[in-house]
Order: sequence, then structure tokens, then C-alpha cells
Amino acid sequence: MRRRDFNKALLTCGLTPCIGLAQDSDSNVISVDELPELVGEISLYLGRGEGGLYENVLKAISDRNPKFKLNIRRGPTAALANAIVAEKEAGIRRADVFWAVDAGAIGLVVDQEIAEPLPSELVSQLRPNYRYRNWLPVSGRIRTLPFNTSALGIEQIPQSIMSLPDEGFKLGWAPEYASFQSFITAMRLLAGNEATSDWLLKVNSSAKRYAGELGVVMGVERGEVDIGFANHYYTLRLKAGKPDAMLDLAFTKGDSGCLVNASGILALTSNKTVHNFIRYLFTKEVQSYLSSEAFEIPLVDGIALPRGIPSLDLISPPAIDLTQLSDLRPTLDLMRELRVL
Amino acid sequence: MRIKLTSISGLFAGLVFLISHPVAIFADGEAGEHVNNMQEHLENYEDEIVWFLDELQKITSAYEGGGSSEYSSDMLIDNWEAVDFHAAIEINYIQIYASIWQGIYGVKASLDSGEDPKSVDIQEAGLQKALWQGLGAVKLAARFQSEGLVGAQGNIDSRSLSPSETLEAIKSELDRALAKSAERLPDEATDIVLGAYLELFEGLEGDLITLDAELVEDLEKDFNVTLPQAISSELALDSLNQVVSQMKSKLDRSKELIQDAEESRRSVF
Repeated sequence: MRRRDFNKALLTCGLTPCIGLAQDSDSNVISVDELPELVGEISLYLGRGEGGLYENVLKAISDRNPKFKLNIRRGPTAALANAIVAEKEAGIRRADVFWAVDAGAIGLVVDQEIAEPLPSELVSQLRPNYRYRNWLPVSGRIRTLPFNTSALGIEQIPQSIMSLPDEGFKLGWAPEYASFQSFITAMRLLAGNEATSDWLLKVNSSAKRYAGELGVVMGVERGEVDIGFANHYYTLRLKAGKPDAMLDLAFTKGDSGCLVNASGILALTSNKTVHNFIRYLFTKEVQSYLSSEAFEIPLVDGIALPRGIPSLDLISPPAIDLTQLSDLRPTLDLMRELRVL
Repeated sequence: MRIKLTSISGLFAGLVFLISHPVAIFADGEAGEHVNNMQEHLENYEDEIVWFLDELQKITSAYEGGGSSEYSSDMLIDNWEAVDFHAAIEINYIQIYASIWQGIYGVKASLDSGEDPKSVDIQEAGLQKALWQGLGAVKLAARFQSEGLVGAQGNIDSRSLSPSETLEAIKSELDRALAKSAERLPDEATDIVLGAYLELFEGLEGDLITLDAELVEDLEKDFNVTLPQAISSELALDSLNQVVSQMKSKLDRSKELIQDAEESRRSVF
């Protein structure tokens, strides 16, 4: 097993992440065969959201470790985060580990200072710009601009999310969708409330509204709109089921339009079983499973990206601490004030 | 009396889903403590059905005898909402619950529009059949409940629904929407459809679209446009039932596709 020493400088970088998704040349991904057998019992709070794929991972871990008992409490990610905070205030702890489908919920718990620091060699397995001291992004999803290829060429799409509403395209969005709201939170943090208000007003005046982001992508494919706002995997999944779909992905540069959000995990208890359980999620087997089956972006080095995602050198997400995305309340207030919600 | 359940497993899936999503309040108020111990109330439920059918008989006989202010068609709804059995069947087998409402409104409509007694008899027979079927379903559910089968499966925190169970749960929710439409509660029915889409179907469609994109596009339209529009335009229940049946066929097809895909999916390790 190749492991690197704890690198304080890189962790500092993790709190104010570096730009770019480029891979670290010194890959240190480990195999499940290198991990010790899990022994003991832990309680996991699991946010719902990825169909049965996270469940498949957990079942595989349990099947492989007969002396290990995993108790799972499932629920909407935000509700579980609130439950953890409420339990802390009540002086009890029921969860040993929290696996959330978005980093915002992780931020809510991290802000309470109840997440335990994680072993440095575990943290350093992640790409340099995704290293945090007391939580780990498990897999990522990129904000993208799915576009209809019969209506537009990629060269016509601006590389700035803020200028997109001024281009006269027919736009599709799902503002009620949690991922969209995280994207607007990132926009607020990066561009400010005023610019975000202007952007929302412009888009709201013309965009076609959908219930969810898969609906947005399907609307783009049908030609109802030229461009949509959606996480990358909806487009990849639609193209997997309909290879001749008139659909492709565009990325903005260095702004909230290409935010890389992530599912994340944190420990509320610090012991060997908890740490070794978390290690399983960062093995090459689990990371490649999430990439190939859930179309998620692996955040450890040396794992192939899902098919259809361009080289990571071409993607430049903004520098933002993902846990700040927990600051959702002002976003919702703004969207309501502007009658977007 | 024999019960003809279309699917015992469907009933069980419905039970698992419904108990894991507690239904505390009904259109007509609290469900009542009796639903937590149905075995002890079976005799009462049966007595209620006998009473309800006697009252029905009085209403239709009065109609056939030229009408009576003492027995109006509105009494059918009042009587149905007065019985405990109402909540027991609503919780346990929503398809039959919908059929009962359909039967009640069928009889009421035939009385209110002055149809001939033969037509009234046909509607009455349909309602009778649905009520007895409902009692059979409640008896089965009471047995599951007394054997602890439902309780063991009921905690949503301890167990996740598999994709196949989720699809069965969606079908149950569509039946519940149908029942609310039959109760003339279109807003509630629409909320149930949209809830089933957001809370259940959305979690599956990402996988499903890789298997059959057109099927997902069809279902998206059904959930978000076709069925809500059919509910809000207050189509006859038979027409609404047809929309729901078509959706269920597509959900069954989805189940086959997902099961096949799961069998061939690579293992994690």
C-alpha cells in the first residue's frame, strides 16, 4: 500500500481549495484487498438520493466483513443533518458516521464542531483540492450546461455563467431542485447577492421551468429549450439510454456554473472501525463503481472518469469551500423575495 | 365470502409502504386507534358493512318506491364516513377503497340522475362487491398485523425500499390518488401524484433512463402533465383509472428493466 504522510500545506489548501480538477500525478488509491477486516458495530446516517447504488456499496462492505455490523438510519440528507445537530444539543450521539448526498448538509454538521478529525493518510488520498480535515468528499457532481446540438454549437455558449442570460437563448431550469439551490448559493458567495439577484431575475423572466433536472435535460434534448442548468450525470445517463440524443455538455470557467459539489462523509466517533469503514469508500473498487454505475466523479486519484466527461484539464471549478454551501437560508430567502420560488 | 386480491404481494408492499409513511389524518379526520389492533375489531367492521348495506337497501328501495325525503342519496356518503371500517380499508388496501368510493358515487349518480331501477341495481351490486372484498383485505391485513409481519418491516429508518418495492409503492400511491379523486378531493389527489414523483420516482429515473429513455420521458409526462390534468378536469373515474392503468403498465415495464439491469450489474468488489 502506498500512503503519503500527512501534508499540512495541502490540508490548508483544502479549506480554500485550489482551482482545477487535474489529477495528482502521484496516485495513491488503495485496493480493498489492502484493508483490514472490519470488526465491531457502527451506526451510519445515510442521506437518500442515489437510488440503490450507495446501498449496494454498503451491502458489499457488510457481506465482505461478517464480523462487522452496520446499523443504518436513512432519510433525506438535510433532515438527518438536522437530527444530528438536535441530538448533539440534547447531549446524545446516535450516529458514528454521516454519509450525506451533498456537501451543504455536511457543512451544517461541521459548523457544530462535532465532526472528528480524520486520519491524515485517509485525507491525503483525495485530490489536493478536495482535502478537508474533518470530512471527506466521496464522489463529485459537476454543474453543467446541457445544450441541444441541433440548435447550438459549443462555441456559441459563453464561458461565463453570469453572461448567459444576456445571450438570448431559450433556457430551462428547475429552481426547486436542491442541486440548483446549492449552485445559487455558490453564485451568491462568489459573485455577491446583487449580481445573483440580477441573474435570477433575468433567467426567471424567460426560462422554462421543470420539476427536476432530469426533466431539464430531457427538455433540452427535445428542443423545448436550447440550454439548461443541471448536474452532469443527467446528461450522461440520458445519452447512455439514447445514444443518438441531440445533446452535449458545456462548461463555464472558474465560476458557480461549473461548481463541483460532492457527497461527503464525516465521523462523529473516532475509532479504528469507523476509520476503516470510511477507508472502504475510497478504495479503487468503490470509487470506480460509483464512477461507472452512478456516473459520479471520483475524487481520489487514478480512477477513470465516467464516460462522456471530458478531460479534467478542461474543467475549472471555482475556488470555494464546499461546506459553505450549507448557507442555504439566504439563498432561499432571495429566491422567494424574487418570486423564483 | 371469498376475497379476490389481485396480488397478495401487492398488498404486502402497500402495507410496508403505508405503515412506513404514517397516515395519521384522513380527509374525514383521525384514523382511530382501532387500526392498530384490527384483529379485535373485525367483528365490528363486519357489523358496519351489514349496517351500511341495510341502509343502502333502504335508500334504493325508497327510490324505487317513488322517492322519500327520509332516504336521500347524500346519506350514502354520510354513512360511509361514519364507519370505522372506512379507515381500516383506506390504510390497508387503497385499490378497494377507491372501488368503494367509485361504487358510492356510482349509486349516488344513478339515483340523482333518475336512472331506471335496473341501472341502480347494477351500481348497488358493484358497491356491495367492493365492500365485501374490502373486508377480506382487512382480515388479511389484520392477520399480518397480529403476526407482527407489518411491524417488523415498518420502520423506514431500518430498511430501504429496493427499486422494485419503490415501484410497487408508486403504484400504491397512484391508487391512493385515484381514491382521493373518487372522494372528489382533486387537490389531494394531485399532491399524492406529485409526491410520488418527487419522493419515489425521481430516485429511480436516473438509472431507468440509461435503460429506456423513451419510457422515462413518457412517465415524466404522465406524472407531471397527463395524470394531474386528468385529475383536475375531473374525468369520470373509469377514464382516470385508464390513465393510471397505463402508468402502472409502464411502471411494471420499468420494474422488469431495473431487475434485469440489477442482475447484470457489476459487483462492487
